[in-house]
Amino acid sequence: MKRGLVILDPDEVPESEWDERLAAVRADLAAEGVDVALVYGDTYSSDDIAYLTNLCIYWNEGMMAIRPQGPPVLLTKLSPRVFPWMRLTSKAEDIRSGRKFGALVSGLLEESGPGIVGLVGAARWPASVVEEVTAALPGWTVRPLGPVIRDRRAVPSSAEEALLRTASSALDVAAGDVARAGISPVERVSTLERLLRGAGFLDVRVATAAASDGTESVQVTGQYRTVWAHAARVVDGPSRPAVTAVLDAAIGAVTAGASVSGLAAAAGPAIKGLPADAHVDVRWIDQADLATFGEYARGDAGLKEGAIGAVVVEVVFADGGFLTAAETVQVTGSGAERLTATASEAVAS
Amino acid sequence: MTIEHAVRPSDRTAGNGEAEAALRHRRVREAMAEQGLDAILAFGPGWRRENIRYFTDAPLTGSAALVLFPADGDPVAFSTHRSDLAEITRRGWVGEAYLLDPAAPAALTGRLRDLRPGRIGIAHYELLPVVVMEAVRAALPGAEIVSATSLMDGVRLVKSDWELARMRRSAEVCAAGWQAFVDVLEPGLPEYRIVAEVEARIKAMGAEDNFMLIASGKEEVRGMTAPSPRVLEAGDMVRTELTPQLDGYWLQICRSAVVGKASPAQHESFALFNEAVEAGMAAVRPGVTAHDVAKAQNDVFRRRGFGEYCTSRYTRVRGHGHGLHLDETPIIEGNETVLPQNAVFIIHPNTYTPIAGYHVLGDPVRVTADGCEVLISTERKLFETGGAV
Repeated sequence: MKRGLVILDPDEVPESEWDERLAAVRADLAAEGVDVALVYGDTYSSDDIAYLTNLCIYWNEGMMAIRPQGPPVLLTKLSPRVFPWMRLTSKAEDIRSGRKFGALVSGLLEESGPGIVGLVGAARWPASVVEEVTAALPGWTVRPLGPVIRDRRAVPSSAEEALLRTASSALDVAAGDVARAGISPVERVSTLERLLRGAGFLDVRVATAAASDGTESVQVTGQYRTVWAHAARVVDGPSRPAVTAVLDAAIGAVTAGASVSGLAAAAGPAIKGLPADAHVDVRWIDQADLATFGEYARGDAGLKEGAIGAVVVEVVFADGGFLTAAETVQVTGSGAERLTATASEAVAS
Repeated sequence: MTIEHAVRPSDRTAGNGEAEAALRHRRVREAMAEQGLDAILAFGPGWRRENIRYFTDAPLTGSAALVLFPADGDPVAFSTHRSDLAEITRRGWVGEAYLLDPAAPAALTGRLRDLRPGRIGIAHYELLPVVVMEAVRAALPGAEIVSATSLMDGVRLVKSDWELARMRRSAEVCAAGWQAFVDVLEPGLPEYRIVAEVEARIKAMGAEDNFMLIASGKEEVRGMTAPSPRVLEAGDMVRTELTPQLDGYWLQICRSAVVGKASPAQHESFALFNEAVEAGMAAVRPGVTAHDVAKAQNDVFRRRGFGEYCTSRYTRVRGHGHGLHLDETPIIEGNETVLPQNAVFIIHPNTYTPIAGYHVLGDPVRVTADGCEVLISTERKLFETGGAV
């Protein structure tokens, strides 16, 4: 849950970059023929809003309106009491609250002539909110859009890359610290929380797992400022060599233009080292999709040079046991740069 | 091999709360019958999993999950994360679990077509994504689809003995979390490091999650937020609402502590807020409304000339329900929800006053046959890092 540090630091992301992000998204929206774009987010997944404003939707839902001119407008069900904090920690200046998104959008656009409203990433919006907004804008055309802001986030800027490297480094150290035998699952979770929240992470999601042969794994996904990193380590046990071999093979296949199915194919020989009745997933989860663990973004598009994400191996055994190994990497023209350490190096005996 | 489906293990041992599951099924079906529903489809996005947990008792990791609960027969669950499937069926409350691809939820729509409900209620209808709603509508042409969010809120309002046993364990985590909070307070510590230490302590006790707001400073503090890099100073009052989740159940503690010795104004503020908490508790009995409990607290402020600080300009609610969601029915004037015996909620008159700034104080309570039971053991006092008042 988003219970960690929220901060807007111009040394991390310069003022000019916020303007550049907004201008680039506006250009995308203009190309789509949209006059006003609406972006929906909730406390679990609101990275598009954070990308443009650094706003943390720390509870409930929020919606951002992007008009042709002026700063984005945040429409929220949260009380005006928290507006000073939101302004202090974000680029949002115009914040409006109310009980219903429809009324908020209608109030915002009442002085504009009817035009085209685009719903960014509409497939994931609550259907009832789409209906409410559409009903509140008679005369307007309400059009679904693809994940245009998410696509902008897919290749990080230099400022974002710096944040991702900081996050990955902290995640690597923390994951390595807990991926040792002799530590209970709750101790692993506890230690990761202390280390990562103490390092300034906003969100920390930890899960531990085990196979019936006694092998355990620990995975952690963390949000640092507006970016995400992920690592999963297999603790010493009978299945560890086979699982980490799959991960190493998959990472070895990462290069600009490689497909996710190509990573799985490269891992094929290593997968044979696991039980034949186990289900093995080899996944690429772009850091832009880690909030929902890539579960709304499955596909087989080629990896973009410069993209940062997690190569994830998940093994579900026939008896229900589960193990996972993963590292955050950057895609380069000549392979993968591991931003978290190699699984084999990071795990202490 | 492909694993997209799990079934309840035939060799699972008894004692996984089968009686509790049966009780829940009966309660839900009684409510469904009143509303003429043939089925409920409970949707749980990552931040609102309470109804999924109610039906499955399983902690899930997927970013979305669904449970299809028919008027007759076994419920079926769906999760976006493959490892959840065995976790769901291992508990035994659900017979089958399927992998859910939100973009192509064929397993879900197949079960819906087989069931062919004439009227189906969707719990968290208001949050169901377009991509899933379109698939549901396409699978059920002619079916009446309504929201069942309130239905499920009502069913979950009264806690069973089984649930109360779990909530009492959550109460122990609340107390330990608050103790960790007080233990680390010292000048120079940034707010976010306090949160890190509290999270570490409660996670070591098995807490699954935690909702926590914080504020530090003196009389200028107007409300709580996520933590900042602000460092503590002597004389600061540090406020928190700390809400750990254990075995699915959330419970909250609200307290304030002073770094060093409290000022007379901070003592005065505590006395006012403590009187309001006690007034709220004194109002509790079976059948009382949320409005009544809120009004009892607000009347204390009004009598002392601080009534304006009970308005939305300064505060939100006078408490809220607890259970599988952390923020259930609001304790606020105007909410006529009846609070029956074994409803659980926190009484917290948290607000700003000019006495000492925003003050946080509150205890979770259970409605008993003739009053209320405070569920946490932490003393209700103004804490000081140099010793208690």
